[in-house]
Amino acid sequence: MWPYVIGGLVLAGVYSIATLGLILTYTSSRVFNFAHGAIAFFLAIFFHWLAVDHGWNPKLAGAFVVLVCAPLFGLFLWWALFRRLTHATSTIRLVSTIGLWVALPAIGRILFVGREEIFDRTGVGPTPAASWIRVAGTVIDSDEFLVLLVSVVVAVSMTVVLRYTPYGLQVRATVDSPRQAGISGINTNIVSAGSWMIGTTLAGAAGVLLAPLKGYQELNFTPLVLAMFAAAVIARFHSLVMGVVGCVLIGMTQSFIPSKWVRDDFLYRILPDQSQDVLISKLPDSVPFILLLIFLLCYRGLDRERFAVDTRAVASEAPPPTARDSDGWLRLRTPAILILIVLLAPVPLAGRWEAIIAKGLAVGIAFLSYTIVAGEGGMVSLCQVAFAGVGGAMTAQLATNDSWTWLPKVNGLLAIFLAALIVVPFGLLVALPSLRLGELYLAMATLAFAVLTQNLFFQSASINNFDGGVKVPRPEVFGIDFEGDTPFYYLLVVLFVLAAILVMNVKRSTTGLNLAATRSSEIATATLGISVVRNRLIAFGVSSFLAAFAGGLSVTYVGIALPAREFDALIGVVWLAIAVTWGVRSVAGALLAGLSFALFPQIFAEFEWFILVLFGLIMLGIRSNVRRVVVQRVALAAWAVFWLGAFLVWNGNLDEVPLIADSIREIPTTLFGLGAIGLAKEPRGIVYDVSHRSRARRAERAARRSADPPPGTTGSPGLDLTTPEAAQRAQDEREVMLP
Amino acid sequence: MSEVAGGPLLEARGVTVAFGGLVALSDVSLSVPPATIVGLMGPNGAGKTTLFGVMSGLLRPRTGTVSIDGHDVTRASPQARAKRGLARTFQRLELFGELTVREHLVVAHRARHRRLNLALDLLGLGARPGPGEDDRVDAVLSDLGLESVASRSAAALPLGTGRLVEVARAMASEPKVLLLDEPSSGLDTRETEQLGEALRRLHAGQGVSLLVVEHNVEFVLSLAQQVTVLDFGRVIAEGTPTEIRGNHAVQAAYLGVSA
Ligand SMILES: Nc1ncnc2c1ncn2[C@@H]1O[C@H](COP(=O)(O)OP(=O)(O)O)[C@@H](O)[C@H]1O
Ligand SMILES: [Mg+2]
Repeated sequence: MWPYVIGGLVLAGVYSIATLGLILTYTSSRVFNFAHGAIAFFLAIFFHWLAVDHGWNPKLAGAFVVLVCAPLFGLFLWWALFRRLTHATSTIRLVSTIGLWVALPAIGRILFVGREEIFDRTGVGPTPAASWIRVAGTVIDSDEFLVLLVSVVVAVSMTVVLRYTPYGLQVRATVDSPRQAGISGINTNIVSAGSWMIGTTLAGAAGVLLAPLKGYQELNFTPLVLAMFAAAVIARFHSLVMGVVGCVLIGMTQSFIPSKWVRDDFLYRILPDQSQDVLISKLPDSVPFILLLIFLLCYRGLDRERFAVDTRAVASEAPPPTARDSDGWLRLRTPAILILIVLLAPVPLAGRWEAIIAKGLAVGIAFLSYTIVAGEGGMVSLCQVAFAGVGGAMTAQLATNDSWTWLPKVNGLLAIFLAALIVVPFGLLVALPSLRLGELYLAMATLAFAVLTQNLFFQSASINNFDGGVKVPRPEVFGIDFEGDTPFYYLLVVLFVLAAILVMNVKRSTTGLNLAATRSSEIATATLGISVVRNRLIAFGVSSFLAAFAGGLSVTYVGIALPAREFDALIGVVWLAIAVTWGVRSVAGALLAGLSFALFPQIFAEFEWFILVLFGLIMLGIRSNVRRVVVQRVALAAWAVFWLGAFLVWNGNLDEVPLIADSIREIPTTLFGLGAIGLAKEPRGIVYDVSHRSRARRAERAARRSADPPPGTTGSPGLDLTTPEAAQRAQDEREVMLP
Repeated sequence: MSEVAGGPLLEARGVTVAFGGLVALSDVSLSVPPATIVGLMGPNGAGKTTLFGVMSGLLRPRTGTVSIDGHDVTRASPQARAKRGLARTFQRLELFGELTVREHLVVAHRARHRRLNLALDLLGLGARPGPGEDDRVDAVLSDLGLESVASRSAAALPLGTGRLVEVARAMASEPKVLLLDEPSSGLDTRETEQLGEALRRLHAGQGVSLLVVEHNVEFVLSLAQQVTVLDFGRVIAEGTPTEIRGNHAVQAAYLGVSA
């Protein structure tokens, strides 16, 4: 009994330290930091780098990282990113920190880990941990004791600070009403910068304390991330007490799973024989999200909160200035060119590259699902990858009829279609309870769904087949045999085009109009008699269909359905980052996202010089797109020096430059994460940015020719919501109508 | 028409709303009879917008009831109220920044007339205008003089035009009772006149009831048949425009703020 209790308390302690920081930053700035766990990981490996690679005294290193570097890092992140997000649209707010979540661990590994993974467990205390005290016959070692001590200190001091100091008063005032606080002279900037510093410090503390217990791989931090997200939902993102309660619940449940009472007497009885052990080993990671879903259902009744909370967010939405239909053919031209390239690609690129592009096409259809759910619906879904995985798994079952013999066996292509249809109700079920509660709850519910599917469904014996997966035959349709790679490749192209047409249809339909209306003003849409929830549900349903369809195609192309590996929940997070980086508003964005997801890792692995090309392109991009002359010059200089150096010093043999050689794996992820972070500045993604620029240039040229300013570009005074600043101004002027 | 003969089309009874400690409305009752223009006046912060929020379903009152056409809608969603024939405009513009002006009206018109048909939407047939849609939308556009900006994006409109778009959108949803929150603020004299004309036509032609919040006292008093005056969340006067003109409490309330 006691070992489990103490184990649970230790887990709860680490979780609470991180969760308190997470809730504090959310309440003071309304930005939910998805990267909180990533920051913990980043600071933990930084600590390891100091303590092990550079031989610092661990205690000194720990204090330096947690008490000096972490607050500074928090201040930097606040200055560079978070402070811009408070007034961004809710989607951008979510996606930017998700980008940080993707990029930060990769950057950390580039900087602090190098070629070999870290396997030791050096901590602040003695290594290996000394046994410290005994409670009820159970040893608490030094690392565990430290966790308990710090968590109590943090909880107590947070309470004292928030209750009794001026800073705490200001935080609470800001929480109650940011606008009111702003009026009454509280400098919300200082309050929120302070909160981010404290939040990052707590993340760092949790990381440095957790690593010696669990290890220094990113994998070891996933439980922390999942637990604190769930605890934050349980706390409804503001209650510190409920946050700690959630952490204790999660920690205790996780700790008791391997116990006789839970495992032998309960789990072994209810779980199916074959998958028992795998499922039980995955259960601790599922616990937070099972609890999360339970609490979500309890909070469902609070749907009134929705309008109340959201009117302010809606007010700050900065809608893109383009009319939707004015650029119809431009929207078509880019995808048409891309499709043409893709159509011709197999000619010179038969074999492996063809296969990779084919993969990209299949994933591209999954990215089209983001065009619907995020681009049209304005929702952040983290479970498209799970839909794809379930679609793949169901396709395999339907097409082969291997383990689920009660299912009918159908033609491969039909199987993909049916599998996708089966997924739709699940999609609706995930979205329904959280849609009313708001974007953040939806993001959490979808993440929960992805993680639970991953741990409980994908791992079950009939799907995973002991990491062997299920073989999927290639279909034969209308007498055409798609056994060969190239025929299937063209099938993928056709299906991508069909899916793209479907997406365009939805965009132009009444539902599309309603969704566009909802994105700008939810309350105006509602008071016209349009059901916001129903339209969003449609978007979600269509998107889950597309994602599942893509999953089915992908496994059919590969020939094996192994969703546990291919459609991991965290891959879904990277998907989202890629999708938004290219832009979720256009079909071309989805195609580029799919292609780059498949191609980039391969390109980076095979052609190291591609990094240089990319660096050069980025620098040139900065040079031609940034107005500030200084930045332009620096970029040009960096570009020149880099190339010169590349030629002279390294002589093309990049394998010998340690930083680059070691970090190649991490670069695509880093790029996509950074891309998503960049949305804070250009919310519509690369495709929009580029096409908008070229359109602007063309308009400018046309204007010069005719000397007549084009309509709509003349600056008319009045309502201008096109820039974030203007939207902000409009929001400030707005009479706050709802609490 | 299903309305009870003589009963009000829209009625709020004993409505109280508080934000934290601030009581924004206390025991306010207001009714809008069928085919009537009612004015709602009161200095800034009197609670007019809050009352609109309660009536349109965006705010839930602490006490009191709201009914449309004799049906109690106090707990009904904004959508359900719109279906019963309520439409409103917003004091702080709530335009659809990504849509053109014309599309605003299309959205509103379809909200009333088109049933959702997913199959058509997916097949790409959902973009076609429904029967009478184009005519109706064009009629509203020309009624408010918005033809010239019909294909412009709403995001870059001047404030006055934006207000007219709000009104046009509400009209296009073919309401039985239309709530207008300061529709003439930001309009120039000519636009104000045009708006007044359009509202009168709407009222006379289709028998729509209007509840108009206005700062422009002359505008309200010339338009409305009945007027209610709010101050500090309470009704301080009710009556015909002539009665209101002579009411001392109203003069005091207005002098109190404008002085
Ligand atoms: N969301 C809110 N939170 C706090 N106070 C509010 C909120 N909305 C309105 N109020 C207050 O309620 C009172 C009435 O506001 P409002 O209905 O907008 O007045 P009016 O429209 O008559 O100018 C004002 O004092 C205002 O500050
Ligand atoms: Mg008002």
